[in-house]
Amino acid sequence: MAEGQGKYASDPEWKSITPIQLDDGSDSGAMPLACIAYPAEYLEATSYLRAVMAANEMSERALRLTEDVISLNPAHYTVWIYRAKILFALEKDLLEELEWLNGVSLKYLKNYQIWHHRQVLMASRAHFPTIPTKELDFLMEMFAQDSKNYHVWTYRHWLIRHFQLWDLPRELEDVESLIKADVRNNSAWNHRYMLRFGPREDAPAAGMVNAGSAMSADEKGILTVVDEDLVDGELEFAKAQILRAPENRSAWWYARGVLRAGGRGVGEWEGFAGKFVDMDSGEVRSSHAVEWLADVYALEKGEKAVEMFTLLKEKYDPIRKNYWDYRIQQVVV
Amino acid sequence: MPTVAGKRRNVRFPFAHLKTAPLTTAQKSQKQTQNQKQNQEKRPDIRSTSTQGRKMASQAAHPGTPALFTQPPPIRDPLVTETTDLQDATLSKCLPFLKGISDLQKGPFNPCGVPALQRDDHVEYLYDSLEDYPAGFVAMDSSRPWMIYWGLAGLTLLGEDVSRVHQRVIASIRPMQNPTGGFGGGHGQISHLASSYAAVLSLAMVGGADAFALVDRQTMWQWLGRLKQADGGFRVCEGGEEDVRGAYCASVIISLLNLPLGLPPTSEARLAGFDNLTDGLGEYLSRCQSFEGGISGSPGVEAHGAYAFCALACLSILGPPEKTIAKHMNLPLLLSWLSARQYAPEGGFSGRTNKLVDGCYSHWVGGCWPLLQSALDGKPQSASAPSMTVGSLFSREGLDRYILACCQHPQGGLRDKPGKHADAYHTCYVLTGLSATQHHHYRTDSSPCANKNFSSAFSWQSKPTGAEENVFEKSDRLTAFHPIYVIPHQAAEKMRLWYEAEPFAT
Repeated sequence: MAEGQGKYASDPEWKSITPIQLDDGSDSGAMPLACIAYPAEYLEATSYLRAVMAANEMSERALRLTEDVISLNPAHYTVWIYRAKILFALEKDLLEELEWLNGVSLKYLKNYQIWHHRQVLMASRAHFPTIPTKELDFLMEMFAQDSKNYHVWTYRHWLIRHFQLWDLPRELEDVESLIKADVRNNSAWNHRYMLRFGPREDAPAAGMVNAGSAMSADEKGILTVVDEDLVDGELEFAKAQILRAPENRSAWWYARGVLRAGGRGVGEWEGFAGKFVDMDSGEVRSSHAVEWLADVYALEKGEKAVEMFTLLKEKYDPIRKNYWDYRIQQVVV
Repeated sequence: MPTVAGKRRNVRFPFAHLKTAPLTTAQKSQKQTQNQKQNQEKRPDIRSTSTQGRKMASQAAHPGTPALFTQPPPIRDPLVTETTDLQDATLSKCLPFLKGISDLQKGPFNPCGVPALQRDDHVEYLYDSLEDYPAGFVAMDSSRPWMIYWGLAGLTLLGEDVSRVHQRVIASIRPMQNPTGGFGGGHGQISHLASSYAAVLSLAMVGGADAFALVDRQTMWQWLGRLKQADGGFRVCEGGEEDVRGAYCASVIISLLNLPLGLPPTSEARLAGFDNLTDGLGEYLSRCQSFEGGISGSPGVEAHGAYAFCALACLSILGPPEKTIAKHMNLPLLLSWLSARQYAPEGGFSGRTNKLVDGCYSHWVGGCWPLLQSALDGKPQSASAPSMTVGSLFSREGLDRYILACCQHPQGGLRDKPGKHADAYHTCYVLTGLSATQHHHYRTDSSPCANKNFSSAFSWQSKPTGAEENVFEKSDRLTAFHPIYVIPHQAAEKMRLWYEAEPFAT
């Protein structure tokens, strides 16, 4: 494609714009590194993008240009940020934008710019005083493609806090259906924890309760006001899931988080964990149960703790030998 | 205008970045039906899942390979889910490589059953990775500073002298700097903390006054002031997301460029009561620790290995790890989670609970260990290596085996796992991880910095592991990297000292 013959150069609508050609540094005489032989249409579209961005143009044609660049390279983070600005400046229909975005999201599953863009739109209280009805359906559609997609879960967590959806029945239903489909979906377990024990309306920030406060890091995640029924309910849920697949770190560690939130120790589950470790017959059905027992016994610095850590070190989790040795040292000291 | 492709050597791995086409919704639901069907069935024995698997299983492993690295884990739940399907498939792919019996592996194998580092192939791969890319790589257009960093870092680890591309690095990076401060992913792209991090580290690696003088520190400082958020963290770019990467990249830049700590007068973060760029940052990172013990990209999200490194490295810049990490992290929880990232028989690290091993976590997870070990060792008492130390809390042998047996692509470059293409990102971070296993990293009680801000970040030293600890050969040794800055110690020091000598007009 010769100069002036591209889609934009030959379009009267773009006549007023002088494109800014790419400076890749080769004018210096040195050959720049890691250069890409861009397709001609990309080179042209981005040269117009540089020009309209330099002028901070908020227009319909600039909006169409962003869509064009996104279709050529959705990983171009700059164009997404510019697009969001234009959408607000021109007071566009953001529901329409979301519809378009759904298609792009399903096409480029690993892209993360899309999810920040979605969050920027959704953060506008003027446009979205409440969560749009189809939003959670679409997220489940995304999870059907990749149930552990980090960017989608990050966005969903933001949604919970933004619209205060901790107790929305749909949230727990979705999490449960994902855990039912794959009890090892750790992302879903994490989401469940934040729904149940994450800081709520009165807390300025997310994370574990007490985190980043004047309290010691060891106090993180321990609730000041505990709903014992909720804690008991979550422990029962975790037990049922552990019985489905005892060698599943997600469920055991969720239970630890629950006990911690309730200010209750691991000792409470000594009996339950013991069901998976038969020292007489030598039958062990969960390495996580062995670790659990080790932690219970370690509270009294007993020899039994050393026995459990040794079992992990020698038989059930030997790749972590150095860590188990470190734990043994701590018990012995 | 960009150089016409063909004038120079083209890269040999076209489309390596393109992931396998995603399943269509129809395929996906079919797969789910199959999964549900399998839920009723017994989980198949890993050794009989395929003809090839059976053949490989019957074939004896290299005699130097311990059973830990050739046998499936001792406990396997019968319940089949998508997670176990993927895990079993990964194991089947890795086992022949771990055993040293794959046709796709190059030797020679040492007495431990570990193949040699294909040094020449990787060097060639990385030099190629710095040259031209065909049009199919347009998705990398915003990652060119990264491509340069990965290439230079990988080559430096392999002992190459990258100062030979000094002028080319400067030429490439100059147009990426914006007059309003910081570097973007390319000319005309808005400044981004990840691009700026990669650009600054690349300049540090090639070194020299002209490279250092390229950075406009005044505008960089102003820009960082605009990225600082009311909760203590940093956005990655203006209008962009806030996450732990932003916190780490900003701290690297502030400490290497010796920027003033104070927020620019116009910074909105001052309204939140902050005076300094680093105020509230430790507290922000504290909120990123999840109930599992690991660290997430932003508060409340799932713990993830790459973010764990960013957070711990950031804390290790803010102050001595025994103070900053101990203050902001629940250490027992963090240790347990981090330790659980290493799997057997693979030997490599996963990024999250119930996810697969990936070579890149050799750095992201492996790189957390020196920082945590230093936090546990406490205040350094001398200028030499400490006599008492917690030592290695992970299996160096396991990681070395995974890297050398599974992550080397037969045509050069390193990768996520067997069956995947190599790319510059994995080549860089797998090598960084290998280098970390080959050295003991520790802090001393002295730092070359005149300015005491962040001086503990410049007190790191390293010494090679002893031959008796290693399953690799002397010829497989790599250069040591600074555990926070992920470039050679000297490169970080030289850059910092150069800026210390340069006046900064606020």
